[in-house]
Amino acid sequence: MSGPHAEEVTARVKAHRHRRVPVWFAFPALALYVFVVLVPSAQGATFAFTDWDGLNPAKHFVGLANFRELWSDPAARGALRQTLIIAVAVTVVQNALGLALALGVNSLVRSRFVLRVLLFAPAVMTPVVTAALWKYMLAPEGAVNGLLGSVGLGSWRQNWLGEPDLALGSVIGVIVWQFAGYSMVIFLAGLQGIPADVQEAAAVDGAGAWQRFRRIVLPLLAPAMTINLMLSVIGGLKLFDQVWVMTAGGPGDSTETLSTLMYKNAFQFNEYGYSVALAIVLAVFVAVLSSGQYALLRRQERAAR
Amino acid sequence: MSTINRITAAGVAAAVTLTAAACSSGTGASSGGGKALRVAAVATDRAGTEAVIKAFKQDNPGVEITASYSDTDQYQGTLRTQLSSGTAPDVFFAWPGNGNPGAIQVLAPTGYLADLSGRSWTSQVPAGIKPVTQVGGKTYIIPLTFVGIGALYNKKALDEVGGKTPTTWTETLALCDAAKAKGKVAFALGNQTDWVTQLVDYALVPTTVYAADKDFDQRMQSGAATFAGSGWKTAMDKYLEMDKRGCFSKDPLGTSFETSVAQLAEGKAVAAVQVTSTLNQLKSQAEQGTEFGMFPLPATDDAAETRMPGAAGGAFAMNAKAKNPDLASKFIDFLATPKAMNLYAQATGNLPSFPNDQYKAEPALQPLVDFQKAGKTVPFMDQLWPNPKVQQAHFTGVQNLFAGKADPAEVLKEMDETYQQK
Repeated sequence: MSGPHAEEVTARVKAHRHRRVPVWFAFPALALYVFVVLVPSAQGATFAFTDWDGLNPAKHFVGLANFRELWSDPAARGALRQTLIIAVAVTVVQNALGLALALGVNSLVRSRFVLRVLLFAPAVMTPVVTAALWKYMLAPEGAVNGLLGSVGLGSWRQNWLGEPDLALGSVIGVIVWQFAGYSMVIFLAGLQGIPADVQEAAAVDGAGAWQRFRRIVLPLLAPAMTINLMLSVIGGLKLFDQVWVMTAGGPGDSTETLSTLMYKNAFQFNEYGYSVALAIVLAVFVAVLSSGQYALLRRQERAAR
Repeated sequence: MSTINRITAAGVAAAVTLTAAACSSGTGASSGGGKALRVAAVATDRAGTEAVIKAFKQDNPGVEITASYSDTDQYQGTLRTQLSSGTAPDVFFAWPGNGNPGAIQVLAPTGYLADLSGRSWTSQVPAGIKPVTQVGGKTYIIPLTFVGIGALYNKKALDEVGGKTPTTWTETLALCDAAKAKGKVAFALGNQTDWVTQLVDYALVPTTVYAADKDFDQRMQSGAATFAGSGWKTAMDKYLEMDKRGCFSKDPLGTSFETSVAQLAEGKAVAAVQVTSTLNQLKSQAEQGTEFGMFPLPATDDAAETRMPGAAGGAFAMNAKAKNPDLASKFIDFLATPKAMNLYAQATGNLPSFPNDQYKAEPALQPLVDFQKAGKTVPFMDQLWPNPKVQQAHFTGVQNLFAGKADPAEVLKEMDETYQQK
C-alpha cells in the first residue's frame, strides 16, 4: 500500500521543485535583464513619439506623427518589402539546403567529418568579414565572374551587386552560403537523436527511403525544424551587417532593409525619432511573426509525437 | 528548448529597439587637469591630426593630448551622442557648412559649439570659404585644408593611350575614345560606394550652374530656383553621356571606391574624378615612381568657362563645455598658424585653407592652386544644402540613373522635394 502512495508523493515533490527552483535561480539574471535591457528599451521607445534629432536638448512630443509618416513613406514601404523577401527566401532556402546537407553528412560517407567542418566553417566567421570578401568576389572583375569565364560560362557573368534586379538575390545567396552550415548542425543534432532501430524496424516492415524520411525522420526532426525556422526568420528580418557592407542599401534603394533604413535615419538624416518608430515597427513585426510561427510549429511538434 | 526560443524572441525584439535606443549612452573618459586635452577626428584626417598634435606638444612641453579616430559614419554618430550626453572631446573635427550630421549648421544651433568669433585669426579666413565657417554671423570652426575635386590622372597611362589633358568637353570625349581604343578606360568610377556617385556631378556643376549664376544657392534658398530647372540637368545629362560613350569603368555600380582607386593606380584607367585627398592613397597603392597629375573636368567647349569645386575640407571646432577651455583655445589658435596648417595639408594631400608662401604645394595640385588664386572655385554643393537628405537623394538618384531606373529630370525633382523639407 505504501508503494504507490510514496511514488505519488515523490512525483509531487519533484513537480513542486521543478516549478519553484528555476524561478529563484533566474532572479538575478532577470533583474539584470530588466534593468539593462527592458527599462532602457522602454525609455528609448518613447523617442518614437518625439521629433528629436539625436542632438538637440529640446525635443517635442509629436504623438503618432512618426508612425503616420512611416505608412506614407515609399522608402519605408520598399524597405519592408525587401526585408520580407529576404526573411522568406533565406528561411526557405537556408533550411532546405541545411537539411539536405545534414542528411548528406549524416550518412556514412567516409569524409563526413571533414565535410561537416568545412560546411560549418562559414558560420563561425564574422558576417562583416564574409560580406567584405563576397563584395570583392562579386565585383564585375571579381573572382566569381573570373571563374565563370575560365570554365566557359562567360555568358553567365553578371554585375552581381551592381544590377538592382540582381543585387537582392546576391545578398540572399551570400547569407544562405554563410548560414546553411549553421542550420545543418542543428538538423544534424536532431538526426543523431533519432534511434537507428526505429528506422531499421520500418525498413524491415517494407518502408522505402522516402517513406522513412517522410514518416519517421521528418516528424522526429520537428524540434530542430522549429528552432531553425525561428532563428532564420528573426535573422532575416533584422538583417543589417551583410547588406550594409555589400551594398549599403544600393544600387538606388534596391536592397534597403528596415535595419539599414533605421540606421540612415538615426545617424545620417538626424531623424532620430522617426528611426525609433521604425525600430518599434520592426520589433513588433519580429515579435508577432515569430510568436505566431512558434505557436504553429509547436502545434505540429505535439501532433508529431 | 522552448524557454530558449521564447527568450531568443523576446531578446531579439528588445535588441532591435535597443539598436537605436542604446546609443544614448556614451563613454566618458575625462580627466581634468590644466595640461590634458581630448581631441577627436575622422580617420581620413588622422595623418594630419597626428602631425599637428605632435608639433603642438613640442611647442608646449608637458601637455597631454588624447586623440581618437573613427570612420566618417561612426564618427558622426559618436560625436552627436557625446555632445548630447556631455562627454564630447575638447576639440573635435567638424564639417563646414551644412548637409551632413557633423556639419556646423547642424551642431551650432544646439549650443554645443564654442563661439570662436573673438579669435584673432578670423580675419584671415579667405572670403571664398568664410560663409561655411559661420552660422548666424558667428565663427565656429577653424578650417585647415582646401580640398578640390578634379580628374586625377596617371601620367604613364595617359602617354600610353596617346592622349592629352582635355581643356574642353569635346576633348574629354576624345580622351574616352582614345583610352577605349587602347583597351583602357578614361575614368575609373566606383559608384557602388555612395559618396563617389556625386563627384562627376560636383565637377561639372560649377561650370554648368555657377559660372553663369553665382547666386544660385541664394536663389535656391529663396525658392526662386530649382535643381530641375538649372544647369544641374545639363551636368547630369553629360554624366550619362560619358557613361554611354564608354568613358567609365565597366559596370560602375558594381565597382567600389577601393577598386576604382586600384584601377587608376595600376594604370588600367587613365584618370578618375576624385577629391584631392585621394592622391595620397593613390600614391601609396601605385608602383614606386608612378606620377600623377590633375586637370579640372571641362563641361563646355569654352575653356575659360571651366570652374572647379574647391572647399574648406578638414576643420576643427571647440566644445562649448570644454574641460580645459584655455588649453583648447590655445590648440585652436595653433591650428590657425601657417606652421600647423601646412603640416596638416601636407599630411592629408590637400592645400592649406589660408594660402601662404611657406607651403610647397604638391605639383599635381597646381591646377587647384591656380583656380583658387583666380577665384574660379565653387564650394561643394552640399555645404549649402539645408539637410543631409538632399545629398542622399543625389546618391540614390545617380545609382538609379546608372541602373536605367530613372532619368535626370526625375532625380532632380526628388532632390528638389527633399530640399524643401525643413
